[in-house]
Amino acid sequence: MTESIVQVINVSREFRRDQITIPVLAGMNLSVDPGGYLALMGPSGSGKTTLLNLIAGLDRPTSGSVIVCGQDLGRSSETELAKWRSRHVGFIFQMYNLIPVLTAWENVELPLTLTSLSRRERDEHVRTALQVVGLGDRMDHYPRQLSGGQEQRVAIARAIVTDPDLIVADEPTGDLDAKSASEILDLMQRLNQEFQKTIIMVTHDPHAAARASRTLHLEKGVLVSEVSSDRTQKVAP
Amino acid sequence: MYTLKYVWRNVRRNSVRSLLTVLSVGFSLALMTVLYGFLASTDTYRQEASLSNRIVVMNIQGFAGSLPISAVDDVRRTKSVAAAVPLAWYGGAYQDERMPFATFATDPAAFFDVWPDYTIPQEQLKAWQNNRQGCIIDRRIAERRGWSIGTRIPLKSSIYPFPLDLEISGIFDSPKNTDSLYFHWDYLNEGLRQVSFPELDNAGTVFARVESKDDMTGVIKAVDDRFGSSDTPTRSQTEAAFAKMFADMLGNVQVLIRNIGLAVVFSLSLVTANAMAMAMRERVTEIAVLKAIGFSRGRVLLLVLGEAFLISMLGGVVGVAVGCVFLQAMNQAIPQFFPLALNELAGLWMTYGLIAAAFLGIVSGIVPALQAARLSVINGLRRIA
Repeated sequence: MTESIVQVINVSREFRRDQITIPVLAGMNLSVDPGGYLALMGPSGSGKTTLLNLIAGLDRPTSGSVIVCGQDLGRSSETELAKWRSRHVGFIFQMYNLIPVLTAWENVELPLTLTSLSRRERDEHVRTALQVVGLGDRMDHYPRQLSGGQEQRVAIARAIVTDPDLIVADEPTGDLDAKSASEILDLMQRLNQEFQKTIIMVTHDPHAAARASRTLHLEKGVLVSEVSSDRTQKVAP
Repeated sequence: MYTLKYVWRNVRRNSVRSLLTVLSVGFSLALMTVLYGFLASTDTYRQEASLSNRIVVMNIQGFAGSLPISAVDDVRRTKSVAAAVPLAWYGGAYQDERMPFATFATDPAAFFDVWPDYTIPQEQLKAWQNNRQGCIIDRRIAERRGWSIGTRIPLKSSIYPFPLDLEISGIFDSPKNTDSLYFHWDYLNEGLRQVSFPELDNAGTVFARVESKDDMTGVIKAVDDRFGSSDTPTRSQTEAAFAKMFADMLGNVQVLIRNIGLAVVFSLSLVTANAMAMAMRERVTEIAVLKAIGFSRGRVLLLVLGEAFLISMLGGVVGVAVGCVFLQAMNQAIPQFFPLALNELAGLWMTYGLIAAAFLGIVSGIVPALQAARLSVINGLRRIA
């Protein structure tokens, strides 16, 4: 039996605004196997981005455990989490979030500056990542010189350049036209199937979710249903 | 290398803002360099004077009074005095220049006995001593004005109704720029007699060299005791104390200048901090992304601090360079206030200016840097996403 790469065990997350406590996730349980492709869906405020942030080590649960790649994230310090993220997680954002003063090459190289790789090894990693996303000919372009789809490809190259165990994507096609969105989803599917990358994606788009092997629906901080790639649906208890 | 490139690109991101910040730092540090250079000049005279074994004898009323020429011989006769000369301020104006350099009437026969650290070729000294209208000038004046032996120098004074028609007999060298011209006391006194000036035989002050530094206190007491019951009681002091008295006359100005300098640095740190804070506010999401992909607090702090540091150092380099150009120009134009040439100040003031710039960079960058380092990734990403 394969050990899960992500284990979310009875997790709750609450936020405090002034004197008011706002529960966002309540008693969440979830596991994701290595090489899985999970889509998180639900209306705004359902807690899907909060769940993604917890799994990516950007946030800590109020109660319960989040164990990813063998690390109990709730028990890790901020410094430990930063180091852990640099080794295990690749991020893809809705607005791409590239650094505007750096070229495509330099943006992709950015996470590698946190590693001990030599200059030559870094160059090899960056070249490979840009070729995987099909931007080998745009290496010296700045983000403003690229289309939205190309920017997101650079962001994906940046996410995979350290060869992370897990890729988290928050609305990766939310800002793209249909054609570019489809190309990005093709690329993510390729990363999952060809390179066995575990992907967790938050999306509102059913077409995007359909590319995942598993889709979870959240509402008001609880899991309400799960759809597998074989289209079987389970309703959460 | 990558980090430096990133920091440099961030500096250039809003080039107008960065340029204005660099210029404001540069302009202020240029001002500071000039002001502190001026103070250094006055301090240097005091330090130089503390090494000499000369004393200054002046009227107890200070510069408001004077001493009779007979006082010079009285001082010379005092035990342990090696040499003494009168030194009367003439305040000569040259052509349209009100105070081109310091001008003193003195005794050529004993002048170099009081200042043995000044040097002049023997034949030039003899020529000066033999020429009643002769004068000697500091080599720096000669070089600056292109004057040589034989050049005639007409001078007018706002103190004495007798204009001088001097001829350069000699050019002397001194350890530091004196920016001074010395001429015959006799020539001035005789001229004043011709125009029936009421205050004749006025030595001004008396400068004397004492045989040993250990004897200075005794000589000062002996001189003041001797003149204590005369018409012109004296106040004698070491040359170091005399220099300090001059510096103390500038005392409040010095404090003012130093405080202005500090105020400028402080207000600039606020300006630069504001520019950095604005830059960081525009980059909240970017910083959140850096932290998301694994940049530690310390690394983010260094990135922001590095940017503030770089901007300030650029300003510092500009400011010190401009300040040095000004100091050099001041040294050429008004050496009596800026006697130290750039090569005597440059190392010191470049270092101080750059240290001030570095300090400014760190102080102005620390608050925005801490804010960036403490930024919550989630809040930062939420700003746009």
